[in-house]
Amino acid sequence: MQTIRRLNAVSRALALGLLFATTSAAFAADGTPVQGGTLIYLEQQAHTNLYPPAGGFYPNGGILNQITDKLTYQNPQTLAIEPWIAESWSFNADKTEYTFKIRPGVTFSDGTPLDANAVAKNFDTYGLGNKDHHLPVSEVINNYDHSEVVDPLTVKFFFKKSSPGFLQGTATIGSGLVSLSTLNRDFDSLGDATHIIGSGPFVVSKETLGREVDLTARKDYNWGPKNLKQQGRANLDGIKVIVTNEDSVRIGALLAGQADFIRQVQAYDEKQAKDQNFPIYAAPTKGVNDGIAFRPDNALVSDLRVRQALLKATNAKQVVDTLFSPNYPQATSVVAKTAAGYVDLSNKLTYDPAEAKKLLDEAGWKPGPNGIRQKDGKTLALTVYESLPQPQNKEVLQLVSQQWSQVGVKLNILAGDAGSRVADNLDPEKTAAYVVEVGRADPDVIKSAFYPTNRDVLLQKGGSSSKVKNFRDDKLNDLLIAVSAEVDPKKRLALTGDVQNYLLDQAYVIPIFEEPQVFAGAPYLKGINFEAVGRPSFYGAWLEKH
Amino acid sequence: MSRYFSGRIGQAVLVLWAAFTVSFILLQVLPGDAILIKFQNPDMGLSPAQIADMRAVYGADVPVWQQYFHTLGNFLRGDLGYSIQAGVPVTDLLSSNFPPTLRLAVLGFVLATAVAIVIAFLSSLLHFGWLKSALQSLPSLFISIPTFWLGIALIQFFSFHLRWIPVINPGEWVGLILPIVTLAVPISAPLAQILIRSIDQVQTQPFVAVARAKGASRSGVLWRHVARNALLPALTIAGLLFGELIAGALITETVFGLNGLGQLTQQAVNNQDVAVLQAIVVISAAAFVGINLLVDLVYPLLDPRLKTSAGVHA
Repeated sequence: MQTIRRLNAVSRALALGLLFATTSAAFAADGTPVQGGTLIYLEQQAHTNLYPPAGGFYPNGGILNQITDKLTYQNPQTLAIEPWIAESWSFNADKTEYTFKIRPGVTFSDGTPLDANAVAKNFDTYGLGNKDHHLPVSEVINNYDHSEVVDPLTVKFFFKKSSPGFLQGTATIGSGLVSLSTLNRDFDSLGDATHIIGSGPFVVSKETLGREVDLTARKDYNWGPKNLKQQGRANLDGIKVIVTNEDSVRIGALLAGQADFIRQVQAYDEKQAKDQNFPIYAAPTKGVNDGIAFRPDNALVSDLRVRQALLKATNAKQVVDTLFSPNYPQATSVVAKTAAGYVDLSNKLTYDPAEAKKLLDEAGWKPGPNGIRQKDGKTLALTVYESLPQPQNKEVLQLVSQQWSQVGVKLNILAGDAGSRVADNLDPEKTAAYVVEVGRADPDVIKSAFYPTNRDVLLQKGGSSSKVKNFRDDKLNDLLIAVSAEVDPKKRLALTGDVQNYLLDQAYVIPIFEEPQVFAGAPYLKGINFEAVGRPSFYGAWLEKH
Repeated sequence: MSRYFSGRIGQAVLVLWAAFTVSFILLQVLPGDAILIKFQNPDMGLSPAQIADMRAVYGADVPVWQQYFHTLGNFLRGDLGYSIQAGVPVTDLLSSNFPPTLRLAVLGFVLATAVAIVIAFLSSLLHFGWLKSALQSLPSLFISIPTFWLGIALIQFFSFHLRWIPVINPGEWVGLILPIVTLAVPISAPLAQILIRSIDQVQTQPFVAVARAKGASRSGVLWRHVARNALLPALTIAGLLFGELIAGALITETVFGLNGLGQLTQQAVNNQDVAVLQAIVVISAAAFVGINLLVDLVYPLLDPRLKTSAGVHA
């Protein structure tokens, strides 16, 4: 009996020792990346055009972020700009001249050097466009004039006016550096991924259009961002980016071990991944929140009181609680909490249906026979198109529509074909409301969204649509210009706060939630990183088993 | 014979031209166009002036009738144009997407035919009433299963639950198993339905009774005498089912993430990629015309009586 007990004790001690051994082994495995293996990455949509300034579209950015390097690296946590291909930089007080020192020895995957000349040609193209090759101007570069190659590793950029956003602009997905041969191609031929020659840790080795892009690690890659733990070549041997449209197939394949990483996990699928210990990666997009913008050119919403009423009739908390997970925080301003220059304006975003009704009454909209308000024979019914890239947008709009109907306003939600959607969204009479969301980790993002010659979400006269009759808000536009031109970073952030206040005071936009990019990965996939607005970087990623 | 052929070919050319023209008109009538859809995408960040430049580049600012004759002329020369969305020539898209769809369609059709024949013949051979009626109700069941649902259900069960067949990155042929089944089920339904009915009909005819009286077995009569006569209506339906096959391939390819004409069509429709759509419409019309021509030519082989009528000798 005693012997048995002793044996038991011994075996228990042994087991305990073994347990320690295994846990410490696991810790070691967790810390030291394993080299090799091919990552299977499931994308929801096929990429379109891989001209780097078109990288804002997530399927494009997901590929470009692996195959191109940027001049600078934006630390996703601190948002500070750190060295990458540029070792150092300087600028004048007006921020009209920027000088970059290029890291020596960097080459594109075709063997050509990534030197000052190549960098200059890249930004000449992104800053001015190229009419002969139909390459458009990048939205992140403002007031660009010209470049100058000072010596083989020094390049200087000149701007017509102050361009304080330029330094951050060099770190964005739209400023990926490509070889001179890539810049010499026509815009149209850049839909073929194999035509994009970058200097990144991965190279496009094969492409099946609309279906799959295969990336292979560059063995000689040795110029990752200086401050990253990962240095030298990537750990993975390759990546297969496979387009899988169906949400249920992506999540099912991940959970069944057929894929290692997937983009676009719906909020309702998060739980089943978590339950099986598959980590969810929710990367904030740090820009203009997911919400509804008005087109004040349309008589229905030209009255400030009507817009304010609809802002007060919208219960963002209910939307977030009903449809989403904690990865989708309720909006507290026009931009996300993580965005540059954010100010907390939650006091301007309170849900108050009684006040909404009062405002509508004052504006002369009286409840009609079917409960929908009317004035001068017109009904207060707005139309909005569902926005396909936004998560569960149809459900969001349906819920908002229910909330608005409580105060006697009808919201028609259209799905429509792509052509009608684009055409009608340019016509304020057809779409009094519009779904808005832009991601970028710089105060310029707010200008990108609202300025007439940028995305022009409010549709102003002289902007993107010829159908606009009167509406133009020069006070707003001046503020937006000031944000993009203010050289003092502190003042610039303060101005961004002014814009947020102004937009909500005018009730031009109803922010609903902070939109994340939600990914899920296999438990054995480690070292995934995201750039500042949620595009995955597989440079430091590794597969514990493969 | 040659007059018959030249007549049929003339008809075919007319059908193709009509398909081209009607699709051109319909695509023009739709609001918006591919350039607008692609470049007005806010992620492109283009100004209105830049978009106007793009329109000029693509020749979209030319009057519609000029575009029509230009495109028609190019088609006749074999130049199918450029996909605005994918940024590559349409012929490239077709050459990479046509073979997989052809393979899927042919295999799907073969399986559908096999399933239909098994159902029809078993149900006419079996004596047990309940089993017979169970088999005979299969076609109605099959046709009422939505293709996308069947695809997802098959994936969930065989790939994710049992883990027998991977859907992501499968082997070339393994990856075809589930899509073929998905495609075959709805196609087999009308074939089986027609076969069952026509077998029943043929079996009531006097020559069947004569054959039986001469001592032929039930199955012998079915195979040697009934089958041949019962196949005719099924063959007609088979020709018409080609359209179903394309539609089924569209859904199957999307659900399984397969490369092919179906997926290409879906993307082209979403993006109003006119050049791609026109090419697909004309190719589908050509295939439709070709298959039905083939069906007409096979009739006389199955039923010699048709040789003297139908106009083959005309």
